Amino acid sequence: MAGTGKNEETKTLAEEADSLWLITFAGSIWAVHFLVCYCATAVICAKLGGDAAAILMLRLALGGVTLVALVGIAFVGWRSWLQWDFLDDWDYVHNLARKEDRHEFLGHASFLLSIISFIGVIYVSLPVLFLETCQ
Amino acid sequence: MTMASTLTGSAPDSENVYPPTEEMLARPVDSETTQRGAEELRETWKTPKGFRYLTAVNNSEVGKWYALSAFFFMMCAGVLGLLIRVQLAVPGNDFLSADRFNQFFTMHGSAMMFLFAVPMFEAISILLLPGLLGARDMPFPRLSAYGFWCFIIGGVFVMGSILFGVAPNSGWFMYPPLATEADGIGSDIWLLGLSFIEVASIAAAVELIVGVLKCRPPGMRINLMPLYGWYVLVVGGMILFAFPPLIAGDFLFELQRSFDWPFFDPERGGDPMLWQHLFWIFGHPEVYIIFLPSIAIAAMVVPTAAQRPIVGYSWIVLSAVGTGFLSFGLWVHHMFTTGLPSMSLGFFSAASEAVVIPTGIQLFAFVATLMVGRVKMNLPMLFIAGALAIFTAGGLTGVMVALAPFDWQAHDTYFIVAHLHYTLFGGMVFPLMAGVYYFYPFFTKKTLADRTGRIVFWLMFVGFNVTFMPMHFTGLMGMPRRVYTYPSVMGWDLLNLISTIGAFIVASGFVLFAIDLLRPRGKQPLAARNPWKAGTLEWSHNVPEENWGSRSVPYITSRYPLWEQENIVERMDAGRYYLADAPGHRRETLVTTVLDARPIQCLRVTGPAWITILAAAFTGGAFIFPTFHWYPPAILCGGAAIACVIYWLWTATSQIPEKEKEMRDVGLSLKLPVYASGPDSVGWWGVWITMLGDATAFASLVFGYFFYWTARPDFPPAGIEHALAGPLTLGVAALVASWAAIYGARVLNRQGKVATARSLLVAAPLLAVVGSVLFYVSVAGSGLEPTSHVYPAIIWAVMIWTIVHTGGGVIMQCYCLAGTLFGKVTPEHDSDLWNVTLYWHFVCLTVVVAGLTIGLMPRVM
Repeated sequence: MAGTGKNEETKTLAEEADSLWLITFAGSIWAVHFLVCYCATAVICAKLGGDAAAILMLRLALGGVTLVALVGIAFVGWRSWLQWDFLDDWDYVHNLARKEDRHEFLGHASFLLSIISFIGVIYVSLPVLFLETCQ
Repeated sequence: MTMASTLTGSAPDSENVYPPTEEMLARPVDSETTQRGAEELRETWKTPKGFRYLTAVNNSEVGKWYALSAFFFMMCAGVLGLLIRVQLAVPGNDFLSADRFNQFFTMHGSAMMFLFAVPMFEAISILLLPGLLGARDMPFPRLSAYGFWCFIIGGVFVMGSILFGVAPNSGWFMYPPLATEADGIGSDIWLLGLSFIEVASIAAAVELIVGVLKCRPPGMRINLMPLYGWYVLVVGGMILFAFPPLIAGDFLFELQRSFDWPFFDPERGGDPMLWQHLFWIFGHPEVYIIFLPSIAIAAMVVPTAAQRPIVGYSWIVLSAVGTGFLSFGLWVHHMFTTGLPSMSLGFFSAASEAVVIPTGIQLFAFVATLMVGRVKMNLPMLFIAGALAIFTAGGLTGVMVALAPFDWQAHDTYFIVAHLHYTLFGGMVFPLMAGVYYFYPFFTKKTLADRTGRIVFWLMFVGFNVTFMPMHFTGLMGMPRRVYTYPSVMGWDLLNLISTIGAFIVASGFVLFAIDLLRPRGKQPLAARNPWKAGTLEWSHNVPEENWGSRSVPYITSRYPLWEQENIVERMDAGRYYLADAPGHRRETLVTTVLDARPIQCLRVTGPAWITILAAAFTGGAFIFPTFHWYPPAILCGGAAIACVIYWLWTATSQIPEKEKEMRDVGLSLKLPVYASGPDSVGWWGVWITMLGDATAFASLVFGYFFYWTARPDFPPAGIEHALAGPLTLGVAALVASWAAIYGARVLNRQGKVATARSLLVAAPLLAVVGSVLFYVSVAGSGLEPTSHVYPAIIWAVMIWTIVHTGGGVIMQCYCLAGTLFGKVTPEHDSDLWNVTLYWHFVCLTVVVAGLTIGLMPRVM
């Protein structure tokens, strides 16, 4: 009830905090992965650019970071898939004025974002796979 | 967090009903009540007349001024574009001198970006959002007005400089050393004038984000929100993370221009590349900040043209949010030729390709909607179709230049000019034109001429392609951007001449459009209320015009209420829904929860005022005088601006309601509190969002510090002094203590321990002043000379940034102290304390990070 008012906002947010965060998780993992790749490469190339061993280490380390990021996004994707609960009612429109629709909608959107972020992470890590030197 | 005591006097729950039952909504309202409510609302929301018209803050007035000013600046920038084309029409032309040509292309780009594209988004959103959300107004009307006045003052200043021949002339991205070394005040006008306007943009972003999150009508859950709202949310968020790096960059740049601090001077340890990074961290998301709101217009026009709900609502939300994220990983694709490691280029190239996916998804969703609907090719839809064609072409050349090896060939040629105009015309101008035609009846209650509109479309569409298609070839043939003339032997003559002819065709389209837009329409009959048979809430507007926004705020249960909720317009008109009257003649709107839009507050919003104009004028002075190195008047203006803002806040925000009016009966058996504090209040959200942007700017400064460390072997230089450890540690400690004091004051005040809270409120500013002084001494007393090398310069910059923030914090703490002393802040009404504490959370973070960066890092490195 709106009138019970007291801490309505806090309450709803607490209920749905998970799914609100969920929608930003996959994209944030992509962003962190991207920044780590960019910063690590910038520092290593600037400070130890000529050192082949350092670059190999860098590539291996970034490969590890990529795997962690992919696993993280896959986990978020799985959580959002559960929240979407598609196979329950085959609903992908979520246009009704119900709590359930709002809940599943956030899961659905977050699931799609996980896919995009997953592809994004793979794209961004391709240079690490293929390039053997800074130049 | 307990909000319990804010609601003293709250009625027992049993009296409140939400959501309303169908039976309640079906109950008729007697015509006398309807009439009385309408008269009260009309009186409350009337626009000031005569000279006082300027004091209006209503979204419909401010939005109109905003949009028309942005359109005016766009026409000015368009004229500059035409003059550029005249100069380039034939080889060896001397129509413009090289310097004037430089000023013109710089101002063409800068004005189109900063004075047209971004402000136009803000203007249209301010005009539309309350309508889309069935709200009375935006949550902070005076902030919108303040933003507008800042924009117009800054815009006239920057644009006017061209009439005096002193406009910036180093290109719209102002690369050092060209721009740092440029003679005259052009670069300063750009830096200060546009920083000033960026402040207005951030103000608008705050307003729009809070509007979308907190001012939706009851029942409009987040899955029912119009797609335009989603886009506004994403774009607002992007502004918060994109503009601050540029503001930080401007801050460093202007310190170099005015005081010779060598941030971008390689001879003293600086690096011009830092500017390029900061500029493009802003500049690339900026492209999407322009593109997304325009495509949002398409998301409104397309379902109406197809007469059915959008296909793939979740997919469009995904693409808006996904684009928002990915667009921050693209900035280096503007810097492919700067010699960065190719592995780094690879990351950005990959991300640039990845962003195509979400961008493509939304276009496919539109096409799918059109395919399954019965499309009426009305005029707005014609512009959308043109937009899709042009944008797709621009997107494809974008995929090409996102590949580093191709970019190395095409960089800085007319190929890029062609690419960027295809994306901006297709992604912004055409959808915007569609929006103007589509929403014109909503804005003015009249229609634009259909036949003229079709002529305008074909002039623009044909003219655009004639102008820019040949530029792909001139570019591939090697013509560089920004040359004021070229010799005939290069073989670019014919292509350039064609482009110039095309430019005049486009221009004639705009002139025709402007005539139709602005001609008086006194005798023209009023437009139909819902001329396009759309399904979204803004088409429940009143014809002839009323200023109240929404006659009564509806209860929403669908994405397209006008299609799917029977009788909704009749019920709104009758005042069957919420807030159908204004007994105290106060401007009010509903505040609802973020996810499910349950009503939680009846917010009293601010009305017409001179103070916003005064505040904007003084803020303008604080930015504009330094252009001419007139610092005393600038400081005076800054002080006066702060005084104006304090007066404005004190007299108009977080007012404690009269004893018996704590709860407002908003209709349909619902009583809502008038006052709210903490996360329940819109002010708290406003502070939170503003400070997020502020923290981003600070993070950019810190990024600069580490950038120098990465890029320069002599950072910090061997044997140089560092900030003094003793005063710095004590200073940080005192500032953290000040934060603890204000936090404690908030908690104790809420518990009713007012006397203790007050003593903490006395201690807090004292601690903050002591801390700030120590912080200053730790740098100033260390013998670090900011002009000598970039290391001391960046330390000074971080220190100045920090103490400006603690200084602001001191003013706010004193404001709260005065609040408790004069009864503006009580244990039950403490929103000022909540907001200031929130500000101090961020200041505390800034202080600690600043302390570690300038104190600890150099000793570790």
